[in-house]
Amino acid sequence: MKSKIESQRINAFVDGELDLASQLEMEDRMRVDAALREQVEGLRQLRAAVREGADYHAAPAALRERMAGLIAPERPNPARAAVVATAAVQRWLQWRPMAASFALVAVLAVALNLSWLRSTQDQRVLDDVVASHVRSTLGQHLVDVASSDHHTVKPWLSSKLDFSPPVNELPLPGSVFLGGRVDYLDGHPVAALVYRQGQHVVNSFVWPTASKDSAVEFSQERGFQTAHWSHGGMTHWVVSDVNRDEFKSIVGAIQSGDGDR
Amino acid sequence: MSDEEDRRRFESLALPHVDAAYNLARWLTHNDHDAQDVAQEALVRALRYFGGFRGDSARAWLLQIVRHTCYSWLKDNRPAENISLDDADDAWQDIAAPAIDEPQSLALRKADRLQINAAIAALPVAFREVLVLRELEELSYNDIARIAEIPLGTVMSRLARARGLMREALTMPNTRPQLRTVPKPSQAGKRQ
Repeated sequence: MKSKIESQRINAFVDGELDLASQLEMEDRMRVDAALREQVEGLRQLRAAVREGADYHAAPAALRERMAGLIAPERPNPARAAVVATAAVQRWLQWRPMAASFALVAVLAVALNLSWLRSTQDQRVLDDVVASHVRSTLGQHLVDVASSDHHTVKPWLSSKLDFSPPVNELPLPGSVFLGGRVDYLDGHPVAALVYRQGQHVVNSFVWPTASKDSAVEFSQERGFQTAHWSHGGMTHWVVSDVNRDEFKSIVGAIQSGDGDR
Repeated sequence: MSDEEDRRRFESLALPHVDAAYNLARWLTHNDHDAQDVAQEALVRALRYFGGFRGDSARAWLLQIVRHTCYSWLKDNRPAENISLDDADDAWQDIAAPAIDEPQSLALRKADRLQINAAIAALPVAFREVLVLRELEELSYNDIARIAEIPLGTVMSRLARARGLMREALTMPNTRPQLRTVPKPSQAGKRQ
């Protein structure tokens, strides 16, 4: 019975479906338990093998056509006779859509691969960002420079980093600027600005990027709200455990401060 | 006209998931022809009930209907597939307790498409659907629970068992070549 539950927990862990506390506990256990590590690794390999190896059956064109016919309201078609008359010619030209579909498939394959690469990269950063947020709230090391004044925090951060991050207090009720911290994410030292919104801690990470400006993307990771955007050569990640609406207004406030500076 | 509006909503919300619908039907029925029929029937049903759909995940909602349609099709056409499953049965222990010290990694990496597809196809239907929804559709446990209409705990136990069965199926055939490459010292001695 015990091994059954344990096996389910390991599966859920590999799927990222455990709650955060259990997920962290499992990571801790993995560090000391070689057998557990091996089980997790075995499951990850099995999962990868199935995902890469198993056929994904995309809907055949015939089914799509039938569906399109079902959805489009039936209309009398006067051109029907002419269509029948030219059917022989059309049949002769049938290789054309096929060639077109091959080209489309090729383009899609490349696009999917690219987007997949990008998404795994983003997912990795997202994992790092959430992990950094969790570490900062678990331990005592929330800020390196404790000040509610951005004139103190900004120069301090600039002196520790090779860039000067936008720093501003948030004009929101119940928002307190706690200060800043230098963290290490995605292979760079990054600035982390820390706010308290009610009882919740908000970490706002900033570092320089070569990528173009992008709009805010919100997502949820292990129950945390996250937002990501790039602006003016800086990439921003914000993470907190506040509710979604409040989080959106916090992100809005951080963004408007970013625009001013 | 609200009918027309529903149609348009259906087109934008449900139609993008025709692939997912067909994929699930294909894995549950085992063949293209039946899968197309089942998927089409499910989509027709979905269109009929779409006016009442107010949920957040059109994909999970649609897949739930596809699964229903598949199961009634299986009941009529493949009664043998519809075996009842008892998650508490004793056979679980044998499958769920794999020898941890077995070197599974080597054998697994060699598993090719055919083997993997065959292994999934050989799973009992209740395990197959959970595995397909998780690994091929990448749905969350919550969505799977909703689609398969089972509690979250059952999703976890079936998925763990499905993977246990997969591992068994994929590691077994590969142990043979490993054995063959090792010559028995006694035989080698006799030959000389």
